[in-house]
Amino acid sequence: MKQLIPTPEGTQDRLFAECAAFRRVEEAVTAAFRRQGYCEMITPNVEYYDLISAAGHPLPQESMMKVIDRTGKILVMRPDSTVAMGRVAATKLGKLPLPLRLYYNQMVFRSDDVNTGARTEIDQCGVELIGAPGLRADLEVLSLAIESLEVCGLSDFHIEIGHAGWFGSLLEALSLEEDQRETLLNLAESKEFTTYRALLAPYMDRPEGKALYALPRLFGGPEVLETARGLCDNPRALSVLDYLESLYGVLRDAGLSHRVQFDLGLIHTIEYYTGMVFRGYGKGAAGNVLSGGRYDRLIGTFGQEMPATGFALDVEAVTDCMELPEHKRPETVIWYELPALGQARALAASFPEGTAMLSCAETPEEARNEAKGLGADRLILLGRNERQEVAL
Amino acid sequence: MNRLKIAVTKGRLLEDSLDLFEKMGMDCSEVRSDTRKLILPVRNYPLDVVLSKAADVLTYVSHGVCDLGIVGKDTIMEHGGSFYELRDLGYGKCRFALAVPEGSDFYGTYRDRVVASKYPNVTKAWFAGKGMDVSVIKIEGSVELAPLVGLSNGIVDIVQTGTTLKENGLVPIETVAPVSARLIANTASMKLYQSLIFDFLDKIEEVTG
Repeated sequence: MKQLIPTPEGTQDRLFAECAAFRRVEEAVTAAFRRQGYCEMITPNVEYYDLISAAGHPLPQESMMKVIDRTGKILVMRPDSTVAMGRVAATKLGKLPLPLRLYYNQMVFRSDDVNTGARTEIDQCGVELIGAPGLRADLEVLSLAIESLEVCGLSDFHIEIGHAGWFGSLLEALSLEEDQRETLLNLAESKEFTTYRALLAPYMDRPEGKALYALPRLFGGPEVLETARGLCDNPRALSVLDYLESLYGVLRDAGLSHRVQFDLGLIHTIEYYTGMVFRGYGKGAAGNVLSGGRYDRLIGTFGQEMPATGFALDVEAVTDCMELPEHKRPETVIWYELPALGQARALAASFPEGTAMLSCAETPEEARNEAKGLGADRLILLGRNERQEVAL
Repeated sequence: MNRLKIAVTKGRLLEDSLDLFEKMGMDCSEVRSDTRKLILPVRNYPLDVVLSKAADVLTYVSHGVCDLGIVGKDTIMEHGGSFYELRDLGYGKCRFALAVPEGSDFYGTYRDRVVASKYPNVTKAWFAGKGMDVSVIKIEGSVELAPLVGLSNGIVDIVQTGTTLKENGLVPIETVAPVSARLIANTASMKLYQSLIFDFLDKIEEVTG
């Protein structure tokens, strides 16, 4: 029986208070989504590997959980929900008026190295705003991301906004060889800043080179945008800064400036994201608590071009930032004579949730022992026409 | 007041790191004291030093239980992980090299080459980058032994002075990558304790230039 004890690598059982915390986050966040007009979709837990791969998903093949289906085709356990939402939007919702507001609350699956503590199952709540380009769509999603963390009761958190275009246009201006461009991109993405800076050394006589060199420190408050502006007057890079500043202006006027920071080094999976990108950080979580951005190319791979923006919130990471709710203790045990089943059930339901339960004992004496064993405060004996309360 | 936790690789890197901290004006007397404690405070700076093995530094920083870490580039290349690599600290310098028995011709054959290493991931990635298909065998102890007893045609290992190689009849024929100590940071800590971490970085830059 020994092999039945551990759960598979990267998975875990979640009990009681942990479940309560998960459900609390899911309910609060999805309610916030619905209040802004988003509609829920549930997609299959498995998708064809070919589809995920054709969508240009940045996750490497070895990080996806694979399953072979009944016809011998390779499936993957959903590695993220955005591809699935995009697939549905392009193939089934083409006749609906745009924009589409979709939300989901489902697991994504990852298969990372063993013994690292990396999770196989990641519970996410997320939205996709599909068919809307531009400032208002980005603002809607950003402010919804901030609200999602607020409704979970987090106090110490912020969102960091970056943009795929700033880094991209500076890199392009240096007109590097393709493989050198890719190396710099990978180094910046994986935050290997020492090698990154060494590679940029030959370009320090160009303002673009200097600006890229400064990248590792270009995060923090809105003054970061000012600093970046002073580094380089590349017109495309400047227009990206203008855009980020206009996002900031609106969010500030909406009273959200304390929740917003910038990180021009936030260029994760730049081939996938096409515009602004953002991540949420909360005190207590080791990584980000949510992540998102604009991805205008993805849905086109399913045959219908649609601009889109969205984010996914990591439910477990958010619960890491919260106090776990206290597990309810049984206070009242109800023993009933068989004809009083209906009254007994109604009585149990009248107590605060999780504090009262029926006894399974045959006799009142056994019920007393049962209630004591549970640590309850009182036993109620219920007949058809009588009720007796015993303090324990 | 928040304090930063820094995981430092025990051994030579720890000595060099404490020298650096002291140059930065930190009181490391408690860390240097002969104790079995594994978490030791710097008294005049908000920093706690966590002593750990090289690969564990990456694990602690990736999981965010330590905000910063000091570890060799060799360990980072072999194990990877999710963190920021902030700075080359300039000490702990050595290199990864391919070494073969003296007089042997590693490349001059069509037969499959076998390479032994404590660093199979680094070895595989390097040969893949050269477009060469080799078999890599992981060795836990003294890698120099593998070609001597006929297990492999060469080794990829850390070379400092080359004395051990020489005494065992091996010669380094190619550098795979230079290695030195790196300062790494947890991604969320970098965002949540930005000013503390920048202050620490600035102090390093002041004394190392």
